[in-house]
Amino acid sequence: MSLVQDRVSQFLEGVTRSRREILTPEGVALPVDLADHGERAVALIIDLFIWLCVTVLLYVTLIALVVEGKAVEIAMTLILFIAFIVRNLYFVYFELAWRGATPGKWITSLRVIDRRGGPLTPSAVFARNLTREVEMFLPAGVLLSAGTGADTWQKLALLAWLGLFTALPLFNRDRMRSGDFIAGTIVIAIPKRMLLADLVETRSRYSFTPAQLDAYGAFELQILEELLRRPRSAETMTLLHDVCGKICAKIGWPTTIPAAEVVPFLTEFYSAERAFLERERLFGRHREHKGNPPR
Amino acid sequence: MTVRRASDTAEMPGASGAKPALVLRSTEFRRGREQGWRELEDLVAKADRGGLGALSTEELMRLPLLHRSTLSALSVARAIALDRHLLLYLENLGLRAFLVVYGPRQSMLEGCRDFFARGFPAAVRAAGVPILIAFLAIVVGTVAGFALAASDESWLAAMVPAELGGGRGINSTREQLLRDEIFAPWPGFTRSFITFANFLFRHNALIGIMTFGLGIAAGVPTLMLLTYQGMVFGAFIGLHYNRGLLVDFLGWVSIHGVTEFGAIILCGAGGLVIAQNILFPGRYARVDNLAIHGRSAAQFAVGAVFMFFVAGLIEGGLRQLVADTAARFAIAALTGAAWLSYFLLAGRRERP
Repeated sequence: MSLVQDRVSQFLEGVTRSRREILTPEGVALPVDLADHGERAVALIIDLFIWLCVTVLLYVTLIALVVEGKAVEIAMTLILFIAFIVRNLYFVYFELAWRGATPGKWITSLRVIDRRGGPLTPSAVFARNLTREVEMFLPAGVLLSAGTGADTWQKLALLAWLGLFTALPLFNRDRMRSGDFIAGTIVIAIPKRMLLADLVETRSRYSFTPAQLDAYGAFELQILEELLRRPRSAETMTLLHDVCGKICAKIGWPTTIPAAEVVPFLTEFYSAERAFLERERLFGRHREHKGNPPR
Repeated sequence: MTVRRASDTAEMPGASGAKPALVLRSTEFRRGREQGWRELEDLVAKADRGGLGALSTEELMRLPLLHRSTLSALSVARAIALDRHLLLYLENLGLRAFLVVYGPRQSMLEGCRDFFARGFPAAVRAAGVPILIAFLAIVVGTVAGFALAASDESWLAAMVPAELGGGRGINSTREQLLRDEIFAPWPGFTRSFITFANFLFRHNALIGIMTFGLGIAAGVPTLMLLTYQGMVFGAFIGLHYNRGLLVDFLGWVSIHGVTEFGAIILCGAGGLVIAQNILFPGRYARVDNLAIHGRSAAQFAVGAVFMFFVAGLIEGGLRQLVADTAARFAIAALTGAAWLSYFLLAGRRERP
């Protein structure tokens, strides 16, 4: 079934998403869309920005305390300690409390899930985020802090290290970071879908013979459904008009359909076709697409 | 396909008023269950906004039931319905409900408690061999460092970076070491317990996490780092040995060293577990195998960070306060026994 849907999205939109399947504990396979590299980068940038704001706020407090001249040493240490904690627990805390999403992932509607469909355990969350320190914060920290004694070669090596780990999601099928490898997680995108009304028109004015309905399969039916669900712009109307003409030619419809009747006609054809194909399906005769011969 | 004429009634729009209305099984199916889906959608939206805590008790009871019935509806729909929109909607709703139902159930605090009460010691008990290897790597490094530095102290400068040496080196005399290092005066509560302990903790935790994370590179850097840590330690032993301070120095180190080396060994062992599962995946695919064992390895790193925290407190705060070698050894033995009994005994009971 999901194969047909894949072909429909591919046909209408070009391949935009890589799909994977997870098996829920109930034994139902759910397709998931892997998050794009761009989305993940945006999510990370948002998270880093929030983290940066918090850290800057801490440092401003520190400077204020220095200017006031009170207990500078304790304040500085406490702030460094808090910055360390914030950096390491920010991701862990949010991914646990917000069920697999940090604020950045929330905004870009991404989620971390277990790759095999099991529950997301705290140890997995810890594992995937602790490696961030090695991947990113540690080398970036050394690179950015000028004059800590790191010479050019060291910096180049660190830069290569940073680049290697940053680019790791580009080099594997499931777009996993090294932390994802260790924890067995993937990052997916979950757009929200609304349930729209059924397209089926039960009061039919046109009727079609089984031979006419046998001309198409599930793939064509679902393409037609997508087209009918599109907003009715001038472009869509032209497209629907073309489709209507092609269908009429294919099934040998005797009369031409006037422009105003195109949408009602196609809706009824869709309803009849779907009723027909679903009935056939009940009898075990699956027709995936029109090239698939009727049995 | 041959062009066929439609029947006469079909040619006349509006002429089929007497025709029975179309009945689709998928439409009937949807009509019967739509209420439940909408309810689940509301619950999921509510949980997304305010967390599971936002749901009332009845709603919490309804959630898994609705989730399961939606998943079963999805299975049925896949078999009987050709309504693409409906299938996509059910898959989306099923996934969103899945994330709520099977999301992390523990808050960070509960997770921490469970981790220290059983997860951490159990993970340590399960990894005897990697721990032994990490321990041996440190021992080898220590022996090598000692042998080199004791015979020729110019090795010290090569092995120990200047900022780690803290002024100690080939030119230090016995009196200097005694006065400025081993029995240096306690710098006061805030300086020792907060400032210095904190610096040590951050520094050591970073090294530990690095030792762990470098396990990804097949464990070679992990072993190198472990050996190097041992060499630095051994070199300092050699320096003090040449000045007749061996026992005092060991006491000075061991008071926190037991905890700190324990933590480094655990980090190294975690890195080695990861390396082992990358190199020898056994019957699973490499990636799957790593996912199975990587989490327990990460538990090592988390636990070790905590141990570094304790070590930092002892080193920064307590070490100079206890200015007596025998007492330092006693504390070292005590911490050693405490860690050992914790790792060997804690969390063996069944989960309640």
